[in-house]
Amino acid sequence: MANVLLARMGEVTLKGLNRGSFEIQLKMNLKYRLKRFGNLKIYQSQSRIWIEPKEEDNPNFRSMADAEDIMKAVCQVFGIVSVSLARKFEGDFESIKENAVSCVKELLEQNPGYQTFKVESKRGNKTFPMTSPEICDELGGYLLDTFPELKVKVKNPDFIVNVEIRESNYIYSGKMMAHRGLPVGTCAKGMLLLSGGIDSPVAGFMMASRGMPLDAVYFHSYPYTSDLAKQKVIDLAKIVSGYSGRMTLHVVNFTQIQLDLYKQSPQDMLTVTMRRVMLQIAERLAIKYDCKCLITGESLGQVASQTMEAIAATNEVVKMPILRPLIGMDKQATCDISRDIGAFETSILPYEDCCTVFVAKHPKTHPHPEDIIEAEKDLDIEDLVERGVLGTEDIVIDPF
Amino acid sequence: MIYFDNSATTFVSDAVKAKINELMEDQLSANPGALHKLGNRAVELYEGIRKETAGLLGAKPEEIFFTSCATESANTAIKGYMSRNKRAGNAVISTRTEHKATLECLEYLTKLGYEIRYVKVGLDGKPVMESLEEELGKGDVALACFTLVNNETGAVLPFADIAKKIKALSPSTVIYLDCVQALGKMQIDLASMGADLCSFSGHKIHSVKGNGVLYVRNGVRIDPLIVGGGQQDGMRSGTQSPVLAGAFLEALKEVSSGIDEAREEVTLINNYLRKELAARGAQILSPDDALPYVLNVSFRGFESETMLHCLEIYDIYVSTVSACSAKQKKVSYVLLEMGVDRKTAANAVRLSFSRHNTMDEAYEFIRHVDDIYEQFLIK
Repeated sequence: MANVLLARMGEVTLKGLNRGSFEIQLKMNLKYRLKRFGNLKIYQSQSRIWIEPKEEDNPNFRSMADAEDIMKAVCQVFGIVSVSLARKFEGDFESIKENAVSCVKELLEQNPGYQTFKVESKRGNKTFPMTSPEICDELGGYLLDTFPELKVKVKNPDFIVNVEIRESNYIYSGKMMAHRGLPVGTCAKGMLLLSGGIDSPVAGFMMASRGMPLDAVYFHSYPYTSDLAKQKVIDLAKIVSGYSGRMTLHVVNFTQIQLDLYKQSPQDMLTVTMRRVMLQIAERLAIKYDCKCLITGESLGQVASQTMEAIAATNEVVKMPILRPLIGMDKQATCDISRDIGAFETSILPYEDCCTVFVAKHPKTHPHPEDIIEAEKDLDIEDLVERGVLGTEDIVIDPF
Repeated sequence: MIYFDNSATTFVSDAVKAKINELMEDQLSANPGALHKLGNRAVELYEGIRKETAGLLGAKPEEIFFTSCATESANTAIKGYMSRNKRAGNAVISTRTEHKATLECLEYLTKLGYEIRYVKVGLDGKPVMESLEEELGKGDVALACFTLVNNETGAVLPFADIAKKIKALSPSTVIYLDCVQALGKMQIDLASMGADLCSFSGHKIHSVKGNGVLYVRNGVRIDPLIVGGGQQDGMRSGTQSPVLAGAFLEALKEVSSGIDEAREEVTLINNYLRKELAARGAQILSPDDALPYVLNVSFRGFESETMLHCLEIYDIYVSTVSACSAKQKKVSYVLLEMGVDRKTAANAVRLSFSRHNTMDEAYEFIRHVDDIYEQFLIK
């Protein structure tokens, strides 16, 4: 008997002729994500991916409790729907009974309150002499005899004992849910505009869930924003990279550009002109680093710079598509995702944007095109953008 | 590097480092509680340190206890006194400009049902005498808690006047005095001062972190905060550390000599900075008669944290209690209590000196302030 991980694929299985390339990418991502858990064999059959330790006694597979970290890591890989720790063994129904008993024993030790269960079975290997319903009946009865305190409950039992008969036999109970989506690397790279807030890490997570690898850009205004704020963005990038894989964070030294903007454009238009310059710098970096789109955490109407007019005003300065996965989302829903992916506690640390001096008291929320022309008439935009691109520090962010 | 953040902590002096090495290498770091001869020698050493420390502070050896820090000393003094003397009264007098170590102890007492009466503080950082009289006049005051030198402004408490007033109007009231920022910067003679309980910190006088002193005047009874093996006459259980106590003593020896000369030199630095900064539109928030070691300044056009980071670029280190973020502005409660307006307080930066700072550093500081105004001021 050996413990293995059974990971279920989701949307990937709906692919047609190109399904193979999605599966290859998914296995590569799993390999990269799980390399710190020892020497593993990762292979696929039908809509399942099996993860087995090559060494005899890999400590990450010993029990449900020991496997928690590796299972969490599997769940961070997009394309996976859920994962279970399964017992893999050979033999006839006797060995199935034996393994089911030890599986239930371990489960009851961890969850002493469990009272009800049912057995579900799948028989891929049609040479096995019992049908699936027969396996359920027989095994259910045997478990009831062995654990007289348990009862069978078909609807919403406390736990399910799953039996799968394939080339080998598998028994498991329970599963950890993953984030679904498509394997990162199956589409072109995107450049995420990452701030220290709640929204942009969620936006990055959402695009990565569609298979998009990421690079990120952050605009740093030291000494108006502290190095703690920069560290917070690095920490957030690390959290996002847990899902998207390795990324490069491009930190733009924005201080002098911001000062120039402040001096040369009207107060109430500062937010718009600043964002227009930021997007152009981001696009330049995106082209340089082979990204095909920009990603922002904008949500319609959330702040002054996210009215439709303001979005139109910033949108028009770049040619690249700007993806805004949160545009129609409620703030609460964004916060929920942020919590779910483990970014919320970092996002709400208080170091962001010390530079309230750069924020107009009453920014224009519905800027007209002529306002923008007027606001930018004294600015050498090309010079500002060029300086931004040149003054960039690149930090490679690994998820581990 | 220019280090103007000495009220936060100080560098460890060479003499203290040498002393620590000496004490660690000597096998005397045996447990002073041990019955064998190594233990006896440790006791001897420890009691010697205690005696010498007491001597330098003008106290008797049995009035001095070594703690882990001034916060522990404050907790022991305030909570310990109120716990031991339940019949002494139900009220405690203090000000809202105390260090958090005191204020949080008072908050704790509030939860136990004690009444905390806060004396008003003027723009000079000193308690208003009429307010003190009024609060004392209400009676039932068990304890009065004050700070000799305020950590944010350097305001010096007119302690003789206050002690006199308390003894006249409420003779049974015991006085706790936070002496952390005063130690080594002004003469302290505990025997004649009139305080009953005092706290001191080692790392503010060039010792390492992890050592403080509690003074309990003979005749004043308090409960210990930390109980256990009954070390230090049961006042502070836990194995004594001759190394840390020795470090404190070494630092104390150093800062106890030449106090007046050092103060004169720091006064020159302080006066120069006051004049030059005021000429640049800064508002000096430290009172005129404050201890020269602390200079609280509100810079024109810069929020506290921005100025702190601007100075950091030039390897100059200061501090601010006002942390800024877009969502919430935390402004110094001490300055607000003194009556400084919120906007001025939001730009306040604390420069704090030690006797090792020099005039050259002050000149360089001003030069860089000019650079900062030229480069980073948003007009």
